[in-house]
Amino acid sequence: MASSNAMFGAMSARRIHDGLAAKEFSAAEVASAVLSQAERLDEDVHAFLEMTPDLAADAAQAVDAAIADGTFADQGPLAGVPIAYKDNMNLIGTHTTCSSNMLADYVSPYTATCVERTLQAGMIPVGKLNMDEFAFGSSTETSAFGPTRNPWDLSRVPGGSSGGSAAAVAAGLVPATLGSDTGGSIRQPAAFCGVVGIKPTYGMVSRYGIVAFGSSLDQVGPFARTVEDAAWVLNAISGHDSRDCTSQANATDFAANLGAGVKGMKIGVVPAFMEAAGLTAEVKAKVQDAIAKLEAAGADIVEVELPNAAAAMSAYYVLGPCEAFSNLARFDSVRYGYCDPGHADLGGQYEASRAKGFGDEARRRIMLGSYLLSSGVYDTYYYPAQQIRTLITQDYVRAFEQVECLVTPVSPRTSFKFGEIGDPTEMYLSDMFTISINIVGYGGMSLPVGLGADTGLPVGVQLIAPAFKDENMLRVAAELEREYGSAPVAPDFAPEGGDAL
Amino acid sequence: MAEHLTEADVRSIAEYVRIGMTEDEVAAMAVDLNSIIDSLSPITEYDLDGVEPTFHPIGDLANVMRDDVEQPGFAQDVALSNAPRQQDGSFLIPSILGEGGDR
Amino acid sequence: MISYEEALRDWEAVIGLEVHTELTTLETKMFCGCKLEFGADPNTHTCPVCLGLPGALPVPNRAAIESIVLAGLATNCDIEKRSMFYRKNYMYPDMAKNFQTTQGPVAFCMRGHLDLAVDGKAAAERRGLDELAQGDQRENIVRTEEGYTAHIGITRIHMEEDAGKMVHIGGGEGRIAGATHSLVDYNRAGTPLIELVTEPDLRTPEEARLFMQKLRQIYLAIGISDCSMEEGSLRCDGNVSLRRRGTTELGTKTELKNINSFKALHDGLMYEICRQAEVLNEGGVIYQETRHWDPSAKRTIVMRVKETADDYRLFPEPDLAPYDLSDEFIEGVRAKLPELPDEKARRFQDTFGLSAYDARHLVEHRETTRFFEACMAVEAADADASKLVKPLANLIINDVTAWINANPGSALDASSLTPERAVQLVGLVASDAISSKQAKEVFAAVFEEDKDPKAIIEERGMTQVSDAGAIEAVVDEVLASNPDKVEQYKGGKTGLIGFFVGQCMKQMQGQGNPKVINELLAQKLDA
Repeated sequence: MASSNAMFGAMSARRIHDGLAAKEFSAAEVASAVLSQAERLDEDVHAFLEMTPDLAADAAQAVDAAIADGTFADQGPLAGVPIAYKDNMNLIGTHTTCSSNMLADYVSPYTATCVERTLQAGMIPVGKLNMDEFAFGSSTETSAFGPTRNPWDLSRVPGGSSGGSAAAVAAGLVPATLGSDTGGSIRQPAAFCGVVGIKPTYGMVSRYGIVAFGSSLDQVGPFARTVEDAAWVLNAISGHDSRDCTSQANATDFAANLGAGVKGMKIGVVPAFMEAAGLTAEVKAKVQDAIAKLEAAGADIVEVELPNAAAAMSAYYVLGPCEAFSNLARFDSVRYGYCDPGHADLGGQYEASRAKGFGDEARRRIMLGSYLLSSGVYDTYYYPAQQIRTLITQDYVRAFEQVECLVTPVSPRTSFKFGEIGDPTEMYLSDMFTISINIVGYGGMSLPVGLGADTGLPVGVQLIAPAFKDENMLRVAAELEREYGSAPVAPDFAPEGGDAL
Repeated sequence: MAEHLTEADVRSIAEYVRIGMTEDEVAAMAVDLNSIIDSLSPITEYDLDGVEPTFHPIGDLANVMRDDVEQPGFAQDVALSNAPRQQDGSFLIPSILGEGGDR
Repeated sequence: MISYEEALRDWEAVIGLEVHTELTTLETKMFCGCKLEFGADPNTHTCPVCLGLPGALPVPNRAAIESIVLAGLATNCDIEKRSMFYRKNYMYPDMAKNFQTTQGPVAFCMRGHLDLAVDGKAAAERRGLDELAQGDQRENIVRTEEGYTAHIGITRIHMEEDAGKMVHIGGGEGRIAGATHSLVDYNRAGTPLIELVTEPDLRTPEEARLFMQKLRQIYLAIGISDCSMEEGSLRCDGNVSLRRRGTTELGTKTELKNINSFKALHDGLMYEICRQAEVLNEGGVIYQETRHWDPSAKRTIVMRVKETADDYRLFPEPDLAPYDLSDEFIEGVRAKLPELPDEKARRFQDTFGLSAYDARHLVEHRETTRFFEACMAVEAADADASKLVKPLANLIINDVTAWINANPGSALDASSLTPERAVQLVGLVASDAISSKQAKEVFAAVFEEDKDPKAIIEERGMTQVSDAGAIEAVVDEVLASNPDKVEQYKGGKTGLIGFFVGQCMKQMQGQGNPKVINELLAQKLDA
C-alpha cells in the first residue's frame, strides 16, 4: 500500500487513478506529497518557477469529494493526477513569466483554454515550469531565472524551450506536464530527457492563453512517461475552442487505438534525414533500431522523399522571428510587464523597459523579425518563406499518400553541456528534424528508445502523422513503447523499491 | 559573411522596435544578425514562380467568426491589476510628446 | 493669404478623403465580446483580447463583417470574397497589441463610387463650370441645370479596429504638448472600424463636404453607425495637393487631421488650398506632412513631417483565418439593404412629382424622410389631397428641419407634430382657411400645446377671410382714407402696395386672405 510519502510524481496517471479509485490514498495526499517532493528534488533540477499549493489543494478537495460521493468514476482517467504547466500558459492567479524579466511580476488575470481543460478533467495543478525566455531557445539556458538541469546528467541541458516541462517528468516530479512547440520545443526536450512529448497537429489544441511566439507555428502538447498518459492528456486538451480561430474540432479518442499494433501499417523513413550531416552515430543507430523493431512487428517500411524539407530551417528562421517581433510588441511597460522607473517621456520608458526586460535571444529575434518584414526585404525572405511552406506541405502530402506515419530522428544528438553551444545559428541546428513539422502544421512526437551507445543519454525517435491523424503516431509510439518499455524516471531520481508504474 | 545590415541599419531597427541599445550592443547585434541572415540564403535560391504562399497552415478553414453577443470581461481593478502605474481608473504613462503618432 | 479664387487661377486642387467610421450600432467589439459603449468609466469594457494581454487571441464579429459588406453594397463597391486581415505594426500606447489588425492589399470592398449632385453656391467652387452647357461632360463631372454631378471613385473600404483613448494631463487644455502624463483608457480599443478611401477625384472643398454628407446619409440609412462627428464615430482625414491647371501629375499632398465637422472639413481644405497656392506661387515647396485644423484660429498647423514613407511591417495576421465569403453570405447581406437615399429621392420624384431639389432635401435626414413618408401615407387616405405634396415637402424641408436643428436631442417621432397634424395644417392653408403666416404660428403652437391645428385655430379665432365682398369693403375703406398715398402710387411709387396690404390686414386683424387683398388692390389702383 502506498503511503502519503509515495512518489506519486513518479507514478503513471493510470496508477494514480486506480489508487484513488481503490481509496489507497486520497487526492489531497497525492497533491501534498507531490508538492513537497517536487520542492525538495527540484533544488537540483530547477524545473519549477512557481508551486501552486492552494490551487492544488482546491482541486484535490474536489476530487476527494467526488470519491466520497461516488462520482469519481464519471470524471475520467485524469482526475486527481498532478500536472504542471510551462510558464507561458496563463493560469489565473499565478505568475506567467515566460522566464523573462519582462514578466517577472505578471500575475495572470485569466486562464488558458488548455489549462482550463486539464482542470475540468480533475487534474491537480501543482505549478509552473521553466523554459527558454519566451520559448526562444533549445536548451532552457535563456531563462532569466536560471537554467533547468537535465535529470539524467545535471551538467547537461534538458533541451528546450519546454525544458522545465520535460525535466519535471523525467525526474518523476509529476506524471504529466504541458509544453508548447514552435520548432521542436516539446519534441527535442522530450528526447533529451527521455520522456514522451507530443506536438499535435496545429489547430488540435487551442492556443488561447498561451503567450504567443510564432502564431502560425505554436502548438500545445503533453509530456508524460507513458504513451497512454500522454494520449489521455491530449484527449483532455484537444478540440475546438471558440476563442481560437485556428482551433478545430476533434472526435478522436487518442487512447483508443494504442493496442492495435503496427502489423500491415505503412511507415515511412526519410533517407535524407538519416544521412544528414551532424546526425550522430548513436542517434542514427537508435533510430535504425526502432525502425527494425517496427518492421519486425509487421510494419511495412517505405522510403519517402521530402525534397524541400532542407529549406525548412531557413523558412522557420524567417517566419518565427517575424511573428515573434509582432507578438512581443505588446510588452511596452504600459498595461503590464517591466517598467523602467523615472522616465519623463514614454519613449525613454519604452526603450529602457524593453532593453532591460528582454534577454539577448529575445532581442535578436525581435530585431531580426522587424528587419525581415521591412519594406523591400519582405519580398526577399518573408513571402518566399511562405511559398516554401507550400512546397514543403506538398512534400508531406505526397509522402503521406504512401505511408501513415514517418519515423525520423528528433535531434541530431543527445543532450549537450551548459554553455557548450554558444553560437545562435549552431544552436538552431538542434531543431533540424523537427522544424519542418511546424512549418506544415502536422503532428509530431518524441518517443524515448533507450540510451545512446556513446553518451549513455536518452535518445528519442520522432514519429510524424498527417494533419489531424495524430492517432497514427500514437499507435506506432505504443508499439515502440511495448518494445522498449515505458520511459523510466532518470536514475538519480528514481524512487527506491521501484514503486513507480 | 555578407553585410546585409550596417550598424546604422541596426540602430534604426532598434529605434523602430523601441529597444534601447548601447553602441557596443549595436555592433554585436549587427554581427549576429548578419550571420543569421546569411544562414537564410536557401530561401533566396528557390524557384518559386507561381507558387502560392501558405500564410495559414489550417487547410481549408475560412470565415471563422463569432456572434455579436456580449461576453463578460474584466472589472476595472482586474484590468489594471498588472499596470505598472495607474491613476483614476486609467493606465498612467509619461509624456507621449515625440511619439510621432498621427492621433 | 491669397483668396480661394486667386488660388484657383493657376492651380487645381486634388482632394482625396479617408473616412473612418465606428460601427456603433453593434453590441460588441471587433475581436472580442466586450460591450461597445461610449462614455463609460475608463477600462470597464475590457478583456484579455482588447487589453492585448499575453496569450489572448482575436475572434472576428460576424455582424461587423456583415456591416462592412452592407457599406460596400451601398456605395457601389465590388465585394471581394477572398481577403485577409493583416497586422499593421507600430508602437503607440493607445493600441494594446502595438499592432493594428486591419486589411491588406485586398479589402472586403473595392472599386466603388458615389455620384454627387452639386448645385447653387456649392457648384460655384468649381472653376470653369460656365464653359459647360447642360449635359456636357468633362473629366468626372456632368453639367446639370442647377450645377453638376460629380462621379467620385471609392478605392476601397476595409475592416479594422479602433484604438483606445488618451487624456493628457499636467499641461494645458488636454493637449499633448506641455502635458507631463497621459491616462490611457482601452474601452474604445477594438471598436469595429471601417475605413473608406476615395480616389483623388474631389476638386473642391464643397465636393468633399457633400461627399461626407452623402456618405453619412447612406451609413445612417443602412444603420451601421450613429455617425457622430462630435463623439468621433465618424472621422475624416483630407488629403490635398495642388497641380498647375492643365497638368495631370499629382503634386505633394498634405494630410489634414482633426476634422470634427463638415464645416471644419470644408474650411480646413479651403485654407490648405490657399496656403499651398501661396507657397507655390512664391516658389516654395510643399512638404508631405500631417496638418491639424484649428477651427478657432482658422488655420492648419503642422503635426508631423513625413520624411520617409511609414514602414508598418504589414503581414497577414496568423491568428485569424482567411475569408472566402460565400454567395449566400453576400446575398444575405444584400437582402438587408434598405432603400438608399438616392433611390428614395428618385421614387419621391416619380411617385409624387416632386422636383429633384425637393426630393434630395427630403432624404437628407432619416427623420424627415420617415416623416414625409408617413405624411404621404396619411394623405393617401384622402382622395382629394394630392395637391398637398408640394406644400408638405416645403413644410418638412423648411419648418420641420428648422425645428429639428433647433431641438437637438429631441426626436421628431416623439413630438406633438404627428403626420396627421402636418397634413391637416397644410390642408388648412391650401383651402385658404388660414394664411401661410398664420400657419407658422399654428405650427409652433402644435409643439407647445399638443393639439390639432384645427383646434388651435378655433381657439385662437384664426380664420382667414377670403370672401371677396367682405375684403372689397375693407379695401375701399383703406383707399378712401389714404388719398395722398393713392396719388403717390399712381404717380409711380408702386412700392406702396405693401403699405395698402398692411393696412387692410390690420383692419381685418390679420385674417384677410393676402392673395385676395392683393388682387383687389391691384384691380382698383391700376384701374
